[in-house]
Amino acid sequence: MTETLPLAEAKSLVARARAGDFGALERLYRTYERPVYTLARRLTRSAEDAEDVLQETFLEVCRSLRQWRGDGSLWGWIRTIAASKALMRYRREKLREWEPLDDDVARAGEDVPLRMDLEAALQRLPERSRAVVWLHDVEGYTHEEIAELMGMTTSFSKSQLARAHDRLRRWLGAGVEG
Amino acid sequence: MSEMRHATSEELLALRDGEGSAWTREHVAACAACAAGLEDLEQMRSRLRALPSFAPPRDRWPVVEQAARSERRRRRFSAGIGTLAAAAVLVLGFAVLRHPKAPEDAAVRQAMAESAAMEQVFRSLQPDQRALTGRTAGVVADLEDRLAQVDAALNDPSALRADPERVAGLWKQRAGLLSALVDVHETRATYAGL
Repeated sequence: MTETLPLAEAKSLVARARAGDFGALERLYRTYERPVYTLARRLTRSAEDAEDVLQETFLEVCRSLRQWRGDGSLWGWIRTIAASKALMRYRREKLREWEPLDDDVARAGEDVPLRMDLEAALQRLPERSRAVVWLHDVEGYTHEEIAELMGMTTSFSKSQLARAHDRLRRWLGAGVEG
Repeated sequence: MSEMRHATSEELLALRDGEGSAWTREHVAACAACAAGLEDLEQMRSRLRALPSFAPPRDRWPVVEQAARSERRRRRFSAGIGTLAAAAVLVLGFAVLRHPKAPEDAAVRQAMAESAAMEQVFRSLQPDQRALTGRTAGVVADLEDRLAQVDAALNDPSALRADPERVAGLWKQRAGLLSALVDVHETRATYAGL
């Protein structure tokens, strides 16, 4: 995902929003609602959860506008807020279904040859594996950044990425277009 | 001669991401299977990046805007409440001191103490650090409006002399409104923040 607002325009909108201009805030919302929602869909279980993350993210943006110093990407800042909000849902649910789900997926997916498209295969991955794949391969986060966001270790992030790719390759068939 | 070990997925991913070891690099250059595995990983990343984005099914901006306006208003309110109350206490305290024997003054002092105690509870909940849903934010905004009206009435320096009973009633009303705010924040608000 590339920056969708030139830095000068982003700075101007943020300055207006800080001063209480809700028109500027709406412009920020309209610019980033789709990428935030897409990220949230990839990191959460359902469309409803993703909608909640979208709302929580922009409320946090409204509260924290002063923390964006204007020397980095506005999208990068908003994206990290969105990822934190989405991943916080895992923590709130105490990760209880992660490991069993992981095992279930392993049993169902590795013994039976499956043919599915990439979208379905991605959805079938356990949540935390999907989150690691998306954050690393699509959003470009490093393993260190992912570890910090998820409260895990970098070796955890690396092994989750490898396991996720092994599964995707098995389910989709190596070299087959999804 | 021992069988050649293939690179693991983790090793191939590290190589794909520019962090692979010298061994992995040399192995992939000599092993067609691992070279194909590396190519698959690169293709998979490209395909993931090419997946379409999602459009939110509903427009959430009106909810975000309402909640943001409520929070902003609440922060201003929280910052102002102490100033208003302190001014009222000073004005009325001075008036009570000038008329220490009036029986109504005891009622005013009692009501002021109740209000101060409830205000302390309200502040301890850190209301400006809490997130509210749109509906709860509406309830809070209404209570804050009424509290602002009471504070405005209490800031009238002639109020005590003119009608001490009414002033005692206003302080009681203030304590009641603060109690309602405490109740809303305790039961329906959650701490905000990353």
